[in-house]
Amino acid sequence: MNDKVTIRHLATGVPGLDAVLGGGIPEFSFNLIVGPPGSGKTTLAHQIMFALATKERPALFFTVLGEPPLKMLRYQQQFSFFDAKKIPESIRIVNLSDEVSAGNFDEVLARITGEVEASSPGLVFVDSFRSVMIEARHQPQGTLSLQQFIQQLGIHLSSWQATTFLIGEYLSNSDPHPVFTVADGLLSLDQSVHRNSMVRQLQVLKMRGQASRPGMQAFRISSAGIEVFPSALLRDDNGTADERAGSRRTKTRVTMGVPGLDKMLGGGLPSGYSMLVAGPSGSGKTILATAFLAEGVRRGEPGVIVAFEQTPSQSRIGTIDDMVRAGQVGLINTRSLDLSIDEIVQNLLSLIHRMKATRVVIDSLSGFELAVAPTFRDDFRESLFRMIAVLSNLGVTVVMTSELEDRYTDLRFSPYGSAFLTDAIIVERYIEIESRLKRVMAVVKVRGSAHSNELRLFEITDAGIIIGEPVRDHEGLLSGRPTLARVADAVD
Amino acid sequence: MQRISETTDLPKGDENPLGEVIRTTLGQRAGRLPAADATAEATAVTWRLVAAQLTPVIGARGLDVLFSRALHQASVEFPWLASAVDRGGSASPLPSLMACLAGQLASSAADASYALLLSFTDLLAALIGESLTTRLLAPVWAAPSIFSGRNAL
Repeated sequence: MNDKVTIRHLATGVPGLDAVLGGGIPEFSFNLIVGPPGSGKTTLAHQIMFALATKERPALFFTVLGEPPLKMLRYQQQFSFFDAKKIPESIRIVNLSDEVSAGNFDEVLARITGEVEASSPGLVFVDSFRSVMIEARHQPQGTLSLQQFIQQLGIHLSSWQATTFLIGEYLSNSDPHPVFTVADGLLSLDQSVHRNSMVRQLQVLKMRGQASRPGMQAFRISSAGIEVFPSALLRDDNGTADERAGSRRTKTRVTMGVPGLDKMLGGGLPSGYSMLVAGPSGSGKTILATAFLAEGVRRGEPGVIVAFEQTPSQSRIGTIDDMVRAGQVGLINTRSLDLSIDEIVQNLLSLIHRMKATRVVIDSLSGFELAVAPTFRDDFRESLFRMIAVLSNLGVTVVMTSELEDRYTDLRFSPYGSAFLTDAIIVERYIEIESRLKRVMAVVKVRGSAHSNELRLFEITDAGIIIGEPVRDHEGLLSGRPTLARVADAVD
Repeated sequence: MQRISETTDLPKGDENPLGEVIRTTLGQRAGRLPAADATAEATAVTWRLVAAQLTPVIGARGLDVLFSRALHQASVEFPWLASAVDRGGSASPLPSLMACLAGQLASSAADASYALLLSFTDLLAALIGESLTTRLLAPVWAAPSIFSGRNAL
């Protein structure tokens, strides 16, 4: 016999969670959901329960002290997933507080087994085992110990063909509870407050038999319940090139919508490239990015903009607002300060899919960094790397702007060291010529392509960016104090 | 019918579909032209059914708390009901409630029992919603078919 057992996976009904778990919850598995009070354990359990419970696969939800059931029912109803019609036919709530406080674990176990045997549920939830543990301290010697109780419960529930969730408060890492060993799956929820932002994260510490996504995954609780934002996944290191990216990352070039810029780039920006436009405030980065999107609209190539700074109506040329209103460009406009990069990436990816977008603008990385919760800022560079990699895999062409103070002593492109992550770089600068502040731009890099190395003057007019002549008669522009070039050189 | 509770925005008395169901239930269980002791017995039967439905869900203590609150609210209109609380102490207040009801005039006992049950269901609905209250208590009422036909689902 070669046939291996096939484990069915249940879709949890929590957006993003199945991807993190590695394909859903294995049927008949014994899972723990742990985390501090307020971290969303009961909400997660309820959301999974309401998604999975049917008349054919009923759920039993045991409440054990902890949250009074009346309050639980009251507050959980505020979530849209709470479907009162499923109670009591598909979902039965059973309160065990009397057994726990009065009796010993034998009685609690007997009550749970009795209820489970009587109704043969497909899903069993016990909220929370932490309460059971606290009560355990008062138990007389000789009765079933907590460890035995949890182990027996695990064994019983697995053999009853029920997918089980035990919910409890987090225990310290230094003293892992034996129940962690018994469990097939272990989900840890956490919330961290950093200055003015609060961030929720979950982690799959264990999920037997399947490749769950490692690391902390950001999630949010809204009126619809929990939504998980799985960290953007890079390509698998299986030694083969990514076919999708290869097929979409063609040798075609994308026009930028700024006359003359395509020529500077060596014939336009190669399709699927990511470009960084760096420059000081007011140098015209957003206008360049807007022109890039407007050009796409003209050519029937939909775009998406993630705007962290100017609201569209504030834009000088106002075209982003017009394009968004016309449905030609998708907009993610956020000034919230508690985002995770993965949440933005998730929103961005779904908008790209919905719009069938091929052009993406992120305006700007500086605003992006501000919008991201402080908790995530330490990892900003890594997350940016993942985001660019994911966008690159999609084959979309990306323009990112980055605010950069003019420094006349060194040539830098990005405060995040993100310059090497991008395929192309345009730098904009202010220079002083004849007591006037003028703008110049240069193409610093276009990976795998010849490009102009000229510093070109440019102006911003109501019609957009007008690129002028190369600055031939001055030198030392990047020092901020150009001087007239020698005549012989200028003639050359 | 006078308003029993000011704590909820739910329809009260005869505006509340539950009001009719409670009245019918108590009426059927107490029989025609009931004496106060028959009303007390009908009340006890109904409360035991309520307890049977709710104790597994919200626990005995949760039920006691709700019952005490409902008794407190109903005693505003029927002050003599308060003695059921005093006499009940920490033990189940049901026997003392029955004794209280049985000692009253028939009509007064029926009205108080009705007010108490209505106050209790209003309180529960204010806490966990009308829909869930309806679903959890459906097996309690004497004519569930009429009620569930109008309100369930």
